[in-house]
Amino acid sequence: MDADTATWLPIRYRASNKLLVLLAWLILLFLITPQFVIVPLSFSSEAYLSFPPAGWSTKWYGSFANSPDWGRAAINSLAIGLPTALLSMILGTMASLAVSRGGITRQSLVAALMVAPMMLPHIILAIGLYPIMLWFKLLTSYAGVIIAHTVVGIPLVFITVNSALSRHSGSLELAAMTLGAGPWQSFWKVTFPLIRPGILIGGILAFASSFDELMLALFLTGVGTQTLPRLIWLQMNDYLTPTIAAAASLIFLVTLGLLVAVSILQTRSGAEKANAHG
Amino acid sequence: MTNGCCPDRAPSLTRGDLSRHGLRTRRRAAPQSKYILSTNELHPGWSIENFYRKFLWLPTAFIGVFFVGPIIAVTIRSFFDPAPGFGNYAEVLFSGIYLQVIWNTLGTALIVTFLCLLIAYPLAYVMAKAKGSMLAVMTSIVVVSLWTSVVIRSYAWMVIFQRRGVLNNLLTSTGLTDGAINFLPGAIAVNVGMVHIMLPFMVLPILSNMRSIDTSLLTAASVMGANPWLSFYKVFLPLSFPGISAGSALVFMMSLGFFVTPALLGGPRHLMVAVLIEQQANRMLNWGMASALATVLLLITVVLYLLYLRVVRYAGGGAQYGR
Repeated sequence: MDADTATWLPIRYRASNKLLVLLAWLILLFLITPQFVIVPLSFSSEAYLSFPPAGWSTKWYGSFANSPDWGRAAINSLAIGLPTALLSMILGTMASLAVSRGGITRQSLVAALMVAPMMLPHIILAIGLYPIMLWFKLLTSYAGVIIAHTVVGIPLVFITVNSALSRHSGSLELAAMTLGAGPWQSFWKVTFPLIRPGILIGGILAFASSFDELMLALFLTGVGTQTLPRLIWLQMNDYLTPTIAAAASLIFLVTLGLLVAVSILQTRSGAEKANAHG
Repeated sequence: MTNGCCPDRAPSLTRGDLSRHGLRTRRRAAPQSKYILSTNELHPGWSIENFYRKFLWLPTAFIGVFFVGPIIAVTIRSFFDPAPGFGNYAEVLFSGIYLQVIWNTLGTALIVTFLCLLIAYPLAYVMAKAKGSMLAVMTSIVVVSLWTSVVIRSYAWMVIFQRRGVLNNLLTSTGLTDGAINFLPGAIAVNVGMVHIMLPFMVLPILSNMRSIDTSLLTAASVMGANPWLSFYKVFLPLSFPGISAGSALVFMMSLGFFVTPALLGGPRHLMVAVLIEQQANRMLNWGMASALATVLLLITVVLYLLYLRVVRYAGGGAQYGR
């Protein structure tokens, strides 16, 4: 009896484990498939969206490159995304340093306030910012949408810098201080190099979120300052051409590139940490 | 030697320094050894805390003006536009259409959360046990889909679900259906698209919680005679509840305010509250009603956010992956 259970039980559990792993891969397939449906579509030779495409061509990338609208939108997205990343990096890092090293009272309250923009539905922020930007005369300007995207970008930097700071106890700053460094010197020579990967990762994420953001762009940008997501949105409501698929594939490529950069930064900072401790 | 006696007190501290820093020192010094004053004559009496505390003002002012400000503006406007009073809220409550959209939003968010949990749990379970390159591949798939533009993913689902799309081709060519089915606009398309977009936000908190579960507890259970299923049900599942609740709260909260997918795939019969707010503000120019609906959405979100913060404290920070 005992020998019996010992032989049949493990097989049953092993089989169910294999099934579970198979299920996991099917779920991952579900996660990744839609992204890879668009890429072949963008190389279709026909104007309507059929899958798989009947013939292949690169003409939609040509029409993307030749259209002044798409080119303008791509430049706008960069002109909004890069300052957003920079502003988010500065403000998010400052907030994180103050919260985790400033010894402030109501620490968790301030932290919750800094993370909150990530949780608020963008539509609320959008209709709230519209009259404020109107009042500041920043509506349809680059500055208006950069500010709005920075509000959403700060939490991303705040979180990544917080986790970078939590890996160091602060004893290095204390050492620098007792060795005679001033506040700024100890920041630039000790603290900043330690949290630089965290700041950069947060900045990349802030750029990526600005690059993808639709709702705030819909309310705060104008015809001259519209971003790629907004143009895709407008075109999608009117007609579904493979040019959108071409634009979407290019954006997907940019996202992949940014994620590769993040993972390189993460492994590098992880390796540095391992070296420092080993 | 005057410097030798007490390392905690800076020898270069003058009376002027004392009067400048003394009050704070006395109030905060006792419990925190971090509060050490510099021994350097060039920078007398600076401390890490005092220095970094000053950094708080700029980000707080920015968030105050451009985040808290808009929220207050929306709330105030909901009571004063077009006329002062509770007119907008009365219309939300009694005209029927608005309440129906709010119910529909809550229902959709609930369905999406439940489906995400159902799909994410086994995936996170396998990922928590995976190692090496398999784990790397699995994680990168989840992270890539998390960061792919929501607009692009909704577009992909539009392509899949449309009349001559991928799914209908598959269904008719395999003979499962006679003709093409109209998925767009429809509830199935909205739910599938939203589950697809929200899934990473469910997987990552559950995974981070599962990875922190002490596996020796499972060994203990099996030593004491529990078979793998029993030890899963009695030990692992209860221990993973913090991850489940953190992920569910996050997905539910984000689903409530979702715009792109329901706007593209849902159509007029499956309105969600964010789509309705956008229509009221952008097309109807009915900013008072838009503000009232936004305030209702805000209230629900804030309650959930507070709940989420409480849960995350137990789960050990699922928010670090959030978008």
